[in-house]
Amino acid sequence: MELDNEAALALANTNTPLSKPHLPGDLAMWFFILAELTVFAIFFIGFAITRQLYPDMFQQGQSYLHPAAGGINTFALISSSCFVALSLNAIRQSRHTYAAILLAAALLMASVYLAVKTWEYNQLLDLGYGLSSNTYFTLYFFITGFHFLHVILGMIILGFMAFRTINGAYQGGNLSGFESGACYWHMVDLVWIILFPLLYVID
Amino acid sequence: MLNHHAVILRVYLYLILLTIASAYMGSIDDIWSSEWQGLALTGILALTVIKGWQIVDVYMELKQAPALWRNLLRGYIVLLPLIIGFIYLVF
Repeated sequence: MELDNEAALALANTNTPLSKPHLPGDLAMWFFILAELTVFAIFFIGFAITRQLYPDMFQQGQSYLHPAAGGINTFALISSSCFVALSLNAIRQSRHTYAAILLAAALLMASVYLAVKTWEYNQLLDLGYGLSSNTYFTLYFFITGFHFLHVILGMIILGFMAFRTINGAYQGGNLSGFESGACYWHMVDLVWIILFPLLYVID
Repeated sequence: MLNHHAVILRVYLYLILLTIASAYMGSIDDIWSSEWQGLALTGILALTVIKGWQIVDVYMELKQAPALWRNLLRGYIVLLPLIIGFIYLVF
């Protein structure tokens, strides 16, 4: 464990590959991340297969989405992920205040995602499209809603990490909890990276 | 040699640029009704793989992780778009 923390600190100061492999965060979190990614993979494959079965319905459904909203959300989540990565780097250098500010910035960008997604849901509901309208909208609301819930959970985790950072936790190389939370947030970003072209880009 | 802070920012720039490139390719209406459709789909999915790879390697810091975990996540980000592309192109 001691060596792991030294390796993590070395990573913060250089880009040189470490001699000893270091898995960031807790092993249990990685099993959780793998389970989540597997569920999303099943949704994505299901979406792709159903799209091939009902191409006209999916094309029509996609025409009601707002590519700009998808773009803004991608920008928000990528920026948020970047802030979290910078925050972890800062905390390894014992810059706790700066790390907390970066986490707050990450939360702000995540809030942008929630606001835009809520607006998009409202737009669709106003047009009369909901979860039970047709197969496309069932899958759309189910997949994006599931991801939406993951963003909320991730924000709670980031908020907890910020609170602990302000209160002087994560001292002396004890960063496993911080790294676990950061990796969970990057998983949320990773899922959106695949979801964005699937929903908004591929016609 | 860039420090890790600079690497994170460089990857951020890549991710933004690749997203813009992907969105631009998707916004060309004519491309989806032409013989270039397959190429456009492949290109967009390839950009997705590159973006995911950067997140796994740099943001999740799995580049320095044990090979099993690194390859699991890298495999996910390569295989899933491949499967989606296969479904779209073959079926």
